[in-house]
Amino acid sequence: MIIQLGSGDLSYDPGFQADEAEASFFVNKNLTGFTILCKQLLQVIFCDACGKTMFSDVSAQKNGPSLLCSPASEEQGPTFERISLPYELYSDRYRVGQRSFSRQYAHIYAARLMQMRPLLAERAQQKWGSNVLIKKLCDLEPGEQCCIVGTLFKRMELQPSILKEISEEHNLLPQPARAKYISEADELILEDELQRIKLEGKFDKDKCVTGSVVAIYGAEKNDGKFTVEDFCMADLPLQTPRPALSSDRFVLLASGLGLGGHNADSMLGLQLLVDMVTGQLGDTGEQSGAAAISRVLLAGNLLSQNTQDKDASTKAKYLTKKTQAGSVEAIRVLDELLLQLVASVPVDVMPGQYDPTNYTLPQQPLHPCMFPLSSAYNTLQLVSNPFEASIDGVRFLGTSGQNVCDIQRYSSMDSHLEILEETLQLRHLAPTAPDTLGCYPFYQKDPFILEECPHVYFSGNAPTFESKLIKGPDGQEVLLVTIPEFSSTQTACLVNLRTLQCEPISFTAFSADKDEENEMNISH
Amino acid sequence: MDELYLDNIDEFVNDHNKIVTYKSLSLTLGVHVNTAKQMLYHYLEHKRKESSPQLHATYLVTGKFVDNGQTCHKVSIVREDQLEDFKSKMSLIVSVHVYSVQKALLKDSGPLYSVDYDAVKDHLKNCSKYSAIQCSGAVPVSSLERQQALKAHNPPQSEPGNSGTNRETNPASKAHPRPPKGIMGMFSKKSAVKSQNTSEEVKPEQKDEPAVVDTAKNKPAAKANPMMNFFGSQTAKKSVKAVKEEADQTSSTSEPPPPPQRKSPQPCEKFDGAAVQTQKDPRSKTKRAEDEDSEEDKMDKKKRRRIKKPEPDSSDEEVVPDSPQPQETLTRERSPKKETETVQPSNGHSGAKVRKRRRVLKSRTYLDADGCMVTEKGFESESYSESEEDFQAPKAAQTAPFKAKPNPGSKEDDKKIQKKAPANSNKGGKQASIMGFFQKK
Repeated sequence: MIIQLGSGDLSYDPGFQADEAEASFFVNKNLTGFTILCKQLLQVIFCDACGKTMFSDVSAQKNGPSLLCSPASEEQGPTFERISLPYELYSDRYRVGQRSFSRQYAHIYAARLMQMRPLLAERAQQKWGSNVLIKKLCDLEPGEQCCIVGTLFKRMELQPSILKEISEEHNLLPQPARAKYISEADELILEDELQRIKLEGKFDKDKCVTGSVVAIYGAEKNDGKFTVEDFCMADLPLQTPRPALSSDRFVLLASGLGLGGHNADSMLGLQLLVDMVTGQLGDTGEQSGAAAISRVLLAGNLLSQNTQDKDASTKAKYLTKKTQAGSVEAIRVLDELLLQLVASVPVDVMPGQYDPTNYTLPQQPLHPCMFPLSSAYNTLQLVSNPFEASIDGVRFLGTSGQNVCDIQRYSSMDSHLEILEETLQLRHLAPTAPDTLGCYPFYQKDPFILEECPHVYFSGNAPTFESKLIKGPDGQEVLLVTIPEFSSTQTACLVNLRTLQCEPISFTAFSADKDEENEMNISH
Repeated sequence: MDELYLDNIDEFVNDHNKIVTYKSLSLTLGVHVNTAKQMLYHYLEHKRKESSPQLHATYLVTGKFVDNGQTCHKVSIVREDQLEDFKSKMSLIVSVHVYSVQKALLKDSGPLYSVDYDAVKDHLKNCSKYSAIQCSGAVPVSSLERQQALKAHNPPQSEPGNSGTNRETNPASKAHPRPPKGIMGMFSKKSAVKSQNTSEEVKPEQKDEPAVVDTAKNKPAAKANPMMNFFGSQTAKKSVKAVKEEADQTSSTSEPPPPPQRKSPQPCEKFDGAAVQTQKDPRSKTKRAEDEDSEEDKMDKKKRRRIKKPEPDSSDEEVVPDSPQPQETLTRERSPKKETETVQPSNGHSGAKVRKRRRVLKSRTYLDADGCMVTEKGFESESYSESEEDFQAPKAAQTAPFKAKPNPGSKEDDKKIQKKAPANSNKGGKQASIMGFFQKK
């Protein structure tokens, strides 16, 4: 999108066109230099074209009196009314009503395949012609070109298995913890209701993950393997058009607050975030901008991993009798933070991997009894972990990041943004559940299949902030956002509901060692 | 505007040697945050003109910042000496204001957080009162409404289970409100015991008297705690049925008071007042167990205040000032307690000295009205006999009090059990005690 915009603008510049020959010569001479130049040029154009929608600009537009003066007579400072937007929660499908854990996980795969099959058949016909032969594995005949819809299974040597560890007779050393479990020896297998078949051919097996439902096109060879010529995914579901909004309004996304962690420095950043949103910080302009933040969404890991001390389960009870769980204090701090927020803005709180609720997806909302202070406000919404809601007609969907992190471990993809896009194309929030990701044993329906395309699709606890606007085949427009972990990056992000743009907002303070760094930089 | 605030700030900064942030100032003086920022600025200028000892300030700078091609909105606290430098790096400055003023030069911004934290902590209830953004949608819901919302939100099946467990646990915990909370609790408890004695000593007609005393005592407490009340009315209704049956039974108990009853007031009160540890137990083993329990119990008090709270009040719960019915329940509710307590010393005297009662700490877990799992630890009296073995006695004893209550003719039952128990113990002989010791482990 940027490129199109950029080149469009460039061609209007006659001076530039005239110098094209020179430019090409320049390119040959120093290609990298040119691209950098080009990038900078685009940056400027880009900023000019859409800069007005950034939070800073919105805030800077309305300039009040400077605060660097003595207070004027009796006049009270201005107050802005928080923008309030219609809000509807669609998270019902992620609520687990009757909690029965005695069922097998096979049902969820069966339900998934059954729900996805018609969608994929349709996609396959779009892609390979309406007369493409769609077969089941049991009807497959060698050498016949056809299309098969099934669930992928990746057999991985390195995948940790508890059974392997127990049954290992030759006392092997425990496997080192790995960041990734993919290897050269991985095999890809396609399963349908009855049978499975090994796959080979044209596809990137490292990119695929177990549990995704795809349609493949090719033929079975004599050795019993299926040679894949092409494959297709379910792609984006249909989208309800977004209403055209007249003014800029924002939703603040943050995740990984990491309370109760060892990093006490991050607390000031968190407090600044709260103060910014609640309209304490900054000039009048900043405050009026902050009043346009209509909601705050906290996407999981409100508590730090450190609050989950493993000691409790390994130590003798009489030794830990008098110690208090670390999460108790952290939840109290969280309650106080939330109280400041909810008194001024509606807040959605999603649980994450380290938060005190169930571990398996879908994670159920945190219990209000943990927040005696803040739960008194109706603006506090405790929501489930895959979270789906519409805010002023803009549909949000996302998780606290467990699904993305799990795919990252079991595939070659590294960027959270890339994985996020992949899951959207697979039309499934968490394909690796229940294989490598904890999941409730659903049996009638797989709630993680996307039925409607969101406008904002996010995942929390990412290492860095990334965002991207993608377009679907049916005119869908989706903003992908990876929300950075706040405790390590001190960054949150703001989504502009009018333009579907997302920008990071970062908080810094000074510290002793940072000064030294700065000084060093200056000296060099 | 009078400039009194300059003196205020001066006092904080110079006399108390505190860090004054705009937020703490706004909260302590009760002024708009922007005014507080200006006040700090004014103070700073004012002092600088006076050329008094040096003051240090930190500033807040927000604006657009471009880093690696990524534009972001940056909010920073910077020291005064870095202010200009920092401002020059920003591509667009949105706001600059004084964040804090202090005497010492801050090496680290950490203390700023603690100052704000303390200030906010003192004004938690109206922390956004002076901010520049008001949210009309954010209104605290009253506890009553919250309760209703929660209930509506709760799956209905929790209700029956709840009442079921409640019925069993409530009378027991009521019988021994363990930590007599406050003077009120102690008072009402004692009066209950005393009045009960008088009533039983004199005549069964005076049965009503303790009720009057109790309700009078409990009413104010109940009023003071409307939320508990709300709870109470519910549990009261549930227990009405169970209690009604007991009512008949109590009226009959008072009529055949055994002669040694006279002596009961003394030991009975002692028994109640004494801490568990002081209770004389011949066997060191149980003693130790109880010691440990009480320790755990103490810790519980600290740790789970939330759980504890309802307990002492639980006797108040029954009283709903408006409706007459719960008052009745209260008097009835009280009566089973009297029964169990008076029975016990009389038994001790009436020959079979093997039979005694002790108080043991038991924990129960049930689902309460708002869907929380509540673990309640409460003392419960349990009968046991000295010569009887651990593995025999508890079984008989545990069933005894529970059986006794719901049955209308429980008095006879109780007697039967009591008679049986010593018989059992005789059969058991002394040897089994070692066996019991092993079996329990």
